[in-house]
Amino acid sequence: MSDLEAYRLKARAWLESVAPTFGRAAQAGLPEAQHLALGRRYQRARFDAGFAGINWDTAFGGQGLSPLHKLIFEQEEMPFGMPMGYFGVSLGISVPVVMRFAQDREWARERVLAALRGDEIWCQLFSEPSGGSDLAGVRTRAEPDGNGWKLNGQKLWTTFAQHSDYGVIIARNDPAVPKHKGLTFFWVDMRSPGVTVRPIRLAAAGHDHVNEVFFDNVGLTDGQRLSPVGSGFATAMATLMIERYSASDPAGFGPSIDTFAALAREVEVNGRPAIEDGRVRSALARGYAMRAGLEAITTRAMKMMAAGMEPGPEGSLNKLVSVRSRQKLSELAIDLMGTLGLAWDQHASSKDDWVASWLAAPTGRIAGGADEMLLNTIAEKILGLPQDHRPDKGVPFNQIPA
Amino acid sequence: MSIVHTGEQQAIASESRRVLDARTDKVRLLGLLQGIGEYDRPFWDTAVGQGWTGLAVPEAHGGLGLGLIELGLVAQATGAVTAGAPFLTTNHGAACALLAGDDAALQARWLPGIAAGEAVGAVAFAEGAVLPAMPRTELVDGRLFGVKTGVTAGLRADFAVVWARRDGKPALALADIAGISRRPIDSFDNSRLFADLVFSDTPATLLAEGDAARIMALDILARMAVITAHEQVGGAEALLFVARDYANTRKAFGQPIGAFQSVKHRIAELYGLVEIARANCIHAAALADDPGGQPDFLKAAAAARLAATEAYDTAARDCVQIHGGIGVTWEAGLHLHMRRARSLAIEQGNMLFWEDLLAAELSGVSA
Repeated sequence: MSDLEAYRLKARAWLESVAPTFGRAAQAGLPEAQHLALGRRYQRARFDAGFAGINWDTAFGGQGLSPLHKLIFEQEEMPFGMPMGYFGVSLGISVPVVMRFAQDREWARERVLAALRGDEIWCQLFSEPSGGSDLAGVRTRAEPDGNGWKLNGQKLWTTFAQHSDYGVIIARNDPAVPKHKGLTFFWVDMRSPGVTVRPIRLAAAGHDHVNEVFFDNVGLTDGQRLSPVGSGFATAMATLMIERYSASDPAGFGPSIDTFAALAREVEVNGRPAIEDGRVRSALARGYAMRAGLEAITTRAMKMMAAGMEPGPEGSLNKLVSVRSRQKLSELAIDLMGTLGLAWDQHASSKDDWVASWLAAPTGRIAGGADEMLLNTIAEKILGLPQDHRPDKGVPFNQIPA
Repeated sequence: MSIVHTGEQQAIASESRRVLDARTDKVRLLGLLQGIGEYDRPFWDTAVGQGWTGLAVPEAHGGLGLGLIELGLVAQATGAVTAGAPFLTTNHGAACALLAGDDAALQARWLPGIAAGEAVGAVAFAEGAVLPAMPRTELVDGRLFGVKTGVTAGLRADFAVVWARRDGKPALALADIAGISRRPIDSFDNSRLFADLVFSDTPATLLAEGDAARIMALDILARMAVITAHEQVGGAEALLFVARDYANTRKAFGQPIGAFQSVKHRIAELYGLVEIARANCIHAAALADDPGGQPDFLKAAAAARLAATEAYDTAARDCVQIHGGIGVTWEAGLHLHMRRARSLAIEQGNMLFWEDLLAAELSGVSA
């Protein structure tokens, strides 16, 4: 047995041992505060068992293993539905940035350890009312103020800002230069005076997880700067690459194809089992073929990593293809249930309930890169097609028509 | 399971692409569309010269003893250039039947010829439907009676593996067809050499019957489908690049048309279809070559086939559309891919066949 296979078995055994404490059944019906508390205890248990910061430097409390070990753990963890959502952005994006770029290294080490233990949570303050896909269009201002900076503006769609102790933020320090050039990257204490967080209720059920965040004369020291002044955009792009390998779900974080097959055997169309209907068989077969392809891409990427090779860019297809397909399959599943499909259980999980999956699917197609932006990236970065026409290119930010 | 190709396998892929790029002549292929019974001899000479004909034939019978992974990579290269002869696929199907049939005399008679590229076998399963539950063609006292329709390579084949009935049960038989009557089909893709084969008191050898014959036929069909799926991926990928290159150079309204999202997103979507189909193909070929892969092979072959057909059809449609008027001209030759996308979609079973088969595998309920 290879080292990686042994690691997979070890991870699985541990996950099985803690599943009764933290798994789906243990979370059922918990109010938000208790669910978050359970999530923190789960993260702590992961840390104590040596499954936190798997591919991070041991000097920062990590395990010093490869990204492949991390991927394997995440793959094993996914079916259990553990309460780890609160730490996705924190440990997947924000904390790695702090670990790499924070000026005060001892402070950084303390923060990383606290985050790995689940004691502290970090958010990422990128999107704004006037710019989500157009990240370099942010309007939140960072103006020099004595030896430090003063933040004013508004962020939007900030995941778990309401539970966050800290955040990483990109803000405009110079509106008189072209938009990519006048940005700087900082960390911010979310409990600072002048920070206001307001949760946003989404159309889909579940606990609120995104927020609008207001900054009203929030003071920052220059030690909170994570990039050179005016180079924040490049740093922001680099941060998105730090943890670029994370476990994907060919089901688009919706119900599995087996769940669809089971439904199709159960319900009837024209007085016969739906599974005997050609339209249903077609959707089942094509859904499977697409997911099997995504799964094969992932398997091949992991084998390449294990062989010390860089996986191909086709790994970037997963979110685009899988969530879109989950949306349509969920619509069809609700169709198949007929009037029985009208019920809405607000506590149901997107992983096993078609209505919950359908209602939350649009979020999946927008958050973390809208479908259209992902298609642009594939076209431009992989295929070498031209950029879109950009009238704001090279124009000082304060002269771009708002 | 999926795999990372070895250095040798990558060399087969790049060398076959290189050779075919150098030796394929679009004008010659366009000419073949207008004749019946003609195939691209320079292509077949190349296939023989490069040893592709013997790739997946066991060493004991004069081949190299490799498998679907290697043959698939060559098929991908032949698909990219819409190669003008179908024999690599049909001969693999015929070789599988000979090996499974376990008749030493028949193997000695045909396998060395297949490996050397001298003999051509046809797989004559279809009667309209690709694998009818109970075929009308009948095997009586070692003689075949009936008509197999639209048989690929039917105008050139020396022998055929025939899906027939015998005493009310399905059977697989092998017949030397040198002397039989062939009805040529004037097709939209003539270098596939489609013909109806008319069996009338034709001597044939029984390879298998009953459930064993059905399982064997399905396995042969699935293996051929995986080769065809590779060919489809090769064609779709070639069209993806043609579309990309055209969108980068053709200008309209003061910019390359690839800067318009209606064009660039269409091309990005093709990339997704090609990569999903390719991954399914690699997975299916690896399962076919793995002694432990049998239980999952049929599902993987179906997935590869469905994904590859969707990719090639879509690529053909969209690539022509992106080219505008020039795309529909005879000389531009994009219709070589458009035609091949359709002929390959039908050979080895259409989408409906594979959807039903895969749905049955996934749900346990047959159509």
